[in-house]
Amino acid sequence: MKIAPKNTLLFVLFLLVGFVTLMGFQSKQKDSKYRSVDIGEFPVETILIQLGDSSLNHSMSGFDSEKASLGEDLIRYGRTKKAGKYSKRISKYFVCTDCHNLKREFNSLSSESSSERLTYAKNNGIPFLPGSTLSGVYNRTKFYNDDYIKKYGPLVENSRDTLANAIQLCAKYCASGRYLEEWELEAFMHYFKKNELKIKDLDLSENNLKNIQRYSLLKEDEKSKLIELIKSSYRQSYAAHFLKPIDTGKRLYGEGGDVENGKLIYRKSCLHCHGGRRVTYLNLDESQLTARMFWNNITNYTDKSLYQIVRYGTYAKTGRKQYMPLYTKEKMSDEQLNDLVAYIKKTAEK
Amino acid sequence: MINKLCVLFLGILILTKIHAQDVMETFNGTRILNGHSVETLKKNTLQFRIEHRFGNIAGPSGGVQNFFGFDQAADIRFAFEYGLSDDLMIGFGRSKGTGDPYNSLLDGFVKFRILRQNKAKNRPISLTVYAASTLTYQQATENISMVQSFPEFAHRFAYTSQINIARKFGERVSLAFMPTYVHRNYVNANDINEILALGGAFNVKITKELGIIGEYYHTLYKGIFDVENTLRPNNYNSLSAGLEWMTNGHNFKIVLTNSRGFTESQFIPYTYSNWLNNEFRLGFSITRNFKI
Repeated sequence: MKIAPKNTLLFVLFLLVGFVTLMGFQSKQKDSKYRSVDIGEFPVETILIQLGDSSLNHSMSGFDSEKASLGEDLIRYGRTKKAGKYSKRISKYFVCTDCHNLKREFNSLSSESSSERLTYAKNNGIPFLPGSTLSGVYNRTKFYNDDYIKKYGPLVENSRDTLANAIQLCAKYCASGRYLEEWELEAFMHYFKKNELKIKDLDLSENNLKNIQRYSLLKEDEKSKLIELIKSSYRQSYAAHFLKPIDTGKRLYGEGGDVENGKLIYRKSCLHCHGGRRVTYLNLDESQLTARMFWNNITNYTDKSLYQIVRYGTYAKTGRKQYMPLYTKEKMSDEQLNDLVAYIKKTAEK
Repeated sequence: MINKLCVLFLGILILTKIHAQDVMETFNGTRILNGHSVETLKKNTLQFRIEHRFGNIAGPSGGVQNFFGFDQAADIRFAFEYGLSDDLMIGFGRSKGTGDPYNSLLDGFVKFRILRQNKAKNRPISLTVYAASTLTYQQATENISMVQSFPEFAHRFAYTSQINIARKFGERVSLAFMPTYVHRNYVNANDINEILALGGAFNVKITKELGIIGEYYHTLYKGIFDVENTLRPNNYNSLSAGLEWMTNGHNFKIVLTNSRGFTESQFIPYTYSNWLNNEFRLGFSITRNFKI
């Protein structure tokens, strides 16, 4: 049978349309896990800008995964491989993760309670460190807050509202290293952008999530309320208050302290750096000998007293750039310090 | 003799309770007193060492006239040592030399950790191997009866190989056993080139920072059966006792020893002082670590 040319054309067209539809459908299935808009996956910053908030000082429109992965190397190891060669270490003494976690540290991101932070560290197998987490640092607006001016003086002034300057201050002074090169700083920023907060990270009610979804229908005052609500569900900055060592007359010396909690702090804080001489020359372990060193010095006015070292840390000086950072009130409470002393006392006397 | 010592040591190993995890600080430093310990420097750590041995405290050359040995320096060593990895270290040093027989010594060594004591991994001991050589650049004497005449350049070298085995018992006590082989390329007529020595040492920590150390090298050579004592007649075994003080980044040791020189190829074959004749001296070593 002879097929008329018009029919042939229709037939080919039919095949073509069918093919394109099929391919389109397939590729759609392959590319996207989601069948609809998932508000949880949206960056907090994007939503805030949509609601009419001003953008962050260091706002970035997106991140480059390659740069972010270089950044992660630099943060974890202080150097990365570039064109087959290792880059120069940022610091001989520290890497970022010696003092900062890369994961979130609280169940609720609006919290900065030291006991909630310790519980979260226990349940999630992360250390309990003197620095704030780098997870979500992109969404913060204030750095080196409150009393850090006492430690770094005017150096903190330019860093308090500018993330890039804060990173540089940390690399050069807190880590006893050097200022980052341009590509390194960029890599840090891309890593931070990659790990910015998403809506799903926040504790928002169903109702609020719905409101975010239909934000264009909200009135101006509803929008600003929503902005406020979103901003109150995570911390734009972490407070940092230095404490003096407790007066000798007021110290509990472990009395009433929770030994198990103290052991947890010892493992998650002290041993993070001192265990197996990982970061420092001073080797600490869970032996009686080590506990006795601390216990016998507990009333001293020296580095060897836990009351002194936790609150003052030590300072980097010429010839000895490695130092121990201090724990602020927010990062270790006096009750937690008492728990730690209780554990040391128990181990020393066992 | 060697067999008996080995059996005794293995017996001790089997009988004792074993720890969890990697055992740290078996000895607080890369040296016990004169000789090496099982410890190595951490990766990227540069250590500067200053070691000093004074003159005899007592005996004929000691006493108040030279302020108990402080007026004399038996030997002085300056060295840079470096951790290439956590298990491999190298070192390079220069010592004054005791003059008996050598002066002006350069030394270099390599030390590698094979095992670290760890109960979880079923490793009851820590074990490192160590190899060193010394070179004297002292001017050769014309008296060919003396070892310092060095007819050939190779005669200026001496070598040491050592297996260093140690174990920490509990928190405070560490024992070490160091079979050591020393080869000198050129020796006196009544001496022998190859010497085997068995070293033993202990370290007891009084506190975390303060420890007592003892170290002894028993030298085995043909002369031990040589009833007429014609071979190496004036040699004694090296016996040392010390006090050690640790701080963060520093390690300070005060030593009492009958040996004069540094490095195994010096203090094992050339110890001429006898504790029983009040011939022993003070010494110290200071180390400072730098991160590179």
